[in-house]
Amino acid sequence: MSGKTNEALLNYLYARGSEASSLNKTGGWRLAAPEKIKRLSPCRHDCLLHSEVPDWMEAVKGGRWEDAWQIMSRSNPFPALTGHVCFSPCTENCNRGRLDQELEIPAVERAIGEWRFDHYQPRRGPRAVKDPVAVVGSGPAGLSCAFYLSDHGYKVTVFEKSSISGGMLALGIPEYRLPREVLNKELAILEEEGITFITNRTLGEDLMLRELNNDFREVFLATGAWLPRQEKLAGAEHKSVYHALDFLSLFNTRQHVEIKDPVVVIGGGNAAVDSARSALRMNGINHVSLIYRRSRAEMPANPGEVEMAEQEGVELVFNANPAEVVTETASGSISAVLFNHSKTNREGLVLDTSRTFKKECGSVILALGQEPDYSVFDPLEEEMSLFAGGDLVSGPATVPEAIRAGRLAAFSIMAKIESRPGPDVFGISEQPVAFEELNLLGRSDLELQDRQKEPVLEAGRCLGCGTCNTCGICYLFCPDVAVEWINNNYEFNLDYCKGCGICVTECPARALQMEGGY
Amino acid sequence: MPYELISGCQAAAIAVQRAGVDLVAAYPITPQTAIVETLANFEAKGELGGEFVSVESEYSALSCCNGAVAAGARVFTATSSHGLAYMHEMIQWCSGARFPIVMVNVNRAVGAPWVLDPDQGDSLSQRDTGWMQIYCANAQEVFDTVLQAFMLSEELLLPSLVVFDGFYISHTYEPVDVPEVEKVREFIGPPQFQAQVEPGVQANLHGLSKGETQLQLVRRRHEDMLRAPQVFTAINEKFYRVFGRSYKTVDATIPEGSKTAFLAAGSTAETVKWFLPELKGCGLIQLRMFRPFPGDELGRIVEEQGLERLIIVDRNCSTGTGGYFAQEVRAALYGLTVRPVIQDLLLAGGIDLTKDILAGAAEKSPGDKLVDQEWGVELK
Amino acid sequence: MKITDYSIENELMYSGHNACPGCGGALTVRYLTRALGPNMALAITASCWSIIAGAPPLTALKCPILHCPFPSAGAVGSGLRRGLNAKGHYDTTVVVLAGDGGTFDIGLQALSGAAQRNEDYIFICYDNEAYMNTGMQTSSATPFGARTSTRPYPLFKHGQKKDIMRIMAAHGIPYAATASLAFPQDMENKLKKAQGIKGFRFMHVLSPCPPGWGTDSSETIHLSRLAVFTNFYPLYEIINGEQWQMTYYPEKTRTPLKEYLEAQRRFRQVDEMTIEALQEEVDRDWEGLLKRVNSSGETK
Repeated sequence: MSGKTNEALLNYLYARGSEASSLNKTGGWRLAAPEKIKRLSPCRHDCLLHSEVPDWMEAVKGGRWEDAWQIMSRSNPFPALTGHVCFSPCTENCNRGRLDQELEIPAVERAIGEWRFDHYQPRRGPRAVKDPVAVVGSGPAGLSCAFYLSDHGYKVTVFEKSSISGGMLALGIPEYRLPREVLNKELAILEEEGITFITNRTLGEDLMLRELNNDFREVFLATGAWLPRQEKLAGAEHKSVYHALDFLSLFNTRQHVEIKDPVVVIGGGNAAVDSARSALRMNGINHVSLIYRRSRAEMPANPGEVEMAEQEGVELVFNANPAEVVTETASGSISAVLFNHSKTNREGLVLDTSRTFKKECGSVILALGQEPDYSVFDPLEEEMSLFAGGDLVSGPATVPEAIRAGRLAAFSIMAKIESRPGPDVFGISEQPVAFEELNLLGRSDLELQDRQKEPVLEAGRCLGCGTCNTCGICYLFCPDVAVEWINNNYEFNLDYCKGCGICVTECPARALQMEGGY
Repeated sequence: MPYELISGCQAAAIAVQRAGVDLVAAYPITPQTAIVETLANFEAKGELGGEFVSVESEYSALSCCNGAVAAGARVFTATSSHGLAYMHEMIQWCSGARFPIVMVNVNRAVGAPWVLDPDQGDSLSQRDTGWMQIYCANAQEVFDTVLQAFMLSEELLLPSLVVFDGFYISHTYEPVDVPEVEKVREFIGPPQFQAQVEPGVQANLHGLSKGETQLQLVRRRHEDMLRAPQVFTAINEKFYRVFGRSYKTVDATIPEGSKTAFLAAGSTAETVKWFLPELKGCGLIQLRMFRPFPGDELGRIVEEQGLERLIIVDRNCSTGTGGYFAQEVRAALYGLTVRPVIQDLLLAGGIDLTKDILAGAAEKSPGDKLVDQEWGVELK
Repeated sequence: MKITDYSIENELMYSGHNACPGCGGALTVRYLTRALGPNMALAITASCWSIIAGAPPLTALKCPILHCPFPSAGAVGSGLRRGLNAKGHYDTTVVVLAGDGGTFDIGLQALSGAAQRNEDYIFICYDNEAYMNTGMQTSSATPFGARTSTRPYPLFKHGQKKDIMRIMAAHGIPYAATASLAFPQDMENKLKKAQGIKGFRFMHVLSPCPPGWGTDSSETIHLSRLAVFTNFYPLYEIINGEQWQMTYYPEKTRTPLKEYLEAQRRFRQVDEMTIEALQEEVDRDWEGLLKRVNSSGETK
């Protein structure tokens, strides 16, 4: 009859096509607002580079590899390398382990490095526009320093004593632990970035500090710790007695090593284990013994590596201190090593010379430690400006520690050149987020699962301890629909947030707090 | 003409079936039950067209209608007495929500004690709830009014209450002209109003509003209801062309020279009409529409006929004031320059209206109060 | 089936509604609308949601809302369903939303009638265990021991909370379930399951009310969870009124009732002895529930 009148009436009376209540800005009711915070995760706490693990895990989870690389390279420019060689203390206290299995952090780390290899694009336009800087030593510390300097536009030249670049990465670490392909890709990228590599230059011989100081604005010395520690051991001067690094260098550069079965490796550090495992890989070598003067628990080597060595068939002998390398008079070749029983007590190592034994062998590798060669500083002149880092300063340490030192050096050098205050050293005083603090009860999406092969899935297992891992709990539990997904993040819409605080109470990662007390 | 001998209740139910409804929700109460049963029988024979829902109370009956009509369905319910009283909250809600619901109320006294006789107080006490009320005097009127009520409601977006007396009309069989379904449906057509609830259309229907909003809504509702007599007349003109019958909001039968008239609504009007030849000098004004109250039309009749005395047949009583109709008539005629004497004949309890009562009232002089007859019977 | 859609455009509830901070009822409807989708018509009986939905012309939901008087919910749902059918909207999901008062008390008649007729819609009771909209007066859903504004200190509610689930089960309806705000996935599963069933479906959602229960607004989810962990509010579903199925066994997370009670100021006057008695009560109810679950046999 009069549909039109009725329609008009309805429109007038009952607001058809009513307007959204979002015109009503309920944010004004609020007494306190949620805000994102970042607390230390156990992985970052334990990482030698204090890498922002939960952050790059989050990026990988979302398939945002470029972001992951950017976050990663803030603290570690060589994830592919560290993903192979780092003993990954980050995984040891991973809170996920309390649920099912610790995250395989190095696998995701490697994946980021490999993504970078595949997607690396040389920078456009002029690079290396700033002052020239010299880096002496192409080990992890030198490369790290070179990366950051070059990244900031400095012209970097890296000098290397050996014929190949990489330092300990190329010469010290066996290929089974670090495929050379990975190192070569890193070096290729660095070269592509405009870093000049000059090999076969030895400091003090054909490379002088004075000249470096003249030719370059600043100089970074990272020559490492290659000098074998001198221990008094009778018969150690025999030509078939190798120092571990010498042996590893030859082995790793595939040069001939005169070595006979069975092999005795003396020492308890990582170089000893590397040597033992490398030796076992050589043709004609069937038996390798790793002999350490203290107990297994006191070994400085990475326990995982020791276990691997044991599994591969390396014989482990503990509490035995070498006394003499015995040479067969007739042939002049090594026949055995004499050991004394030894153990540690409060005073230190105690030898029991009454208890000796003989270990028959064809070759001996001494891995009794190494130290920096400070002669590189000679001759030192007063007006010289030098930076030094890595093993040269710290003594033998790990690859990540060297990377950290190189990074610190780079930023210190830039600060000096640009007359800025030096970089803050990332110090940790905060306690990492404990498993008990996490509130996982709301994570109905959480399924117990073991490690995943696919890095994206593995990253998805990260609980993001202390860092927002965009689980969406705040979004889901908001009665006011005031949490929005914007630019890959959950953001609080303070126009509507009434400040109830449910998101803060429920945040599984503990990455929220109420602003202004609550 | 297909005349059928049917009761008032059956007339109402058949009218509903002829009009074509989507939903009937009802709960039984004497004397309305025959409506429910007749509709249920239609459903049993597959002739109802819509759904019949046996709900658990009158309140739910109207609630159920409320839901369906909001979705745009044509709905119907019927009740009586206590049932109507029980609906009171929903009755108000439906008119506020502007739901074009048609409901039949069969008059019956409200207890205590239990009484079955046709006191009109049940429907009259709902006079302020925003429903239109039309009182029918016989089964044919019931049939026609129910049909018209759907059109009236849907035009004005206001609910209608079609009222007739228990037993006198509800259970009395009369010949009624019952048109064919097709003819009625063609005349009325499908529901002529827009649904409030439409899937996908965001709307906050009847949510919490301010007093100012309610002022606008009540005002609009009031103004719309005042249009009812005009719409009623228009509908009846059309109705006449198709069915040969039509009704007025107020009907008058005044013999030449009569200065006294009985005013009655429902079956009492039919009774008075029957006795008019014996009540010398008296006429009849039949009040069909009670809400909105057709005061202007009533005033026009009184002035034109020069009526000096109105005897109001009130089969009801608003305790402490008197008959509902008398109150309304007094108020409506207050503006006349020459006002008739208005006397109230109270028959509360729904007692039978006899010739003696009518004659006794007519014999009194205009100045007298109808004290003796006021209650119809002596209460001792 | 996982709650994976975290895009605000697909939310069917708007911000800016009028619920108190931390309102359980608001969350109930948020999950409800998320699960059931936009093709839905919602009838809301007198309750907090009469206010939360906003003052027209504003509305808090993207679907039509039909407000209706307190006792009418069950019957309005019946009418709305049939009215929409009459208009050809067969695939529109009809939902009736009522508080505990509109379900346990004043609305019980209409609810029972609709359930008995097996009306084809979903009835959601968001239970905040008192008349919260009017200022926390006792309802028959108020648990033993709770203080309300009509049982003020030192009084408290005596008598058990009405077991609405067994009442609904006795109607033999095709589907009835309890749901907790702390288990949104479970709730969504149940709602989707209910949506796929024809006939009368009932869902009971415990909806914490921070001002009424005397808790911090941030505790809403925590309390919902505690209620489940303490067996005070078990999660289960009932098929055809006879097939009882647990959807969550708090085996590892079982918590003493005391923890739940002590988290709320409304139970503050309850003494140790009463707590023990209540714990026994909860244990007994739990055993009874298990018995019903176990005697239900295999899941269909």
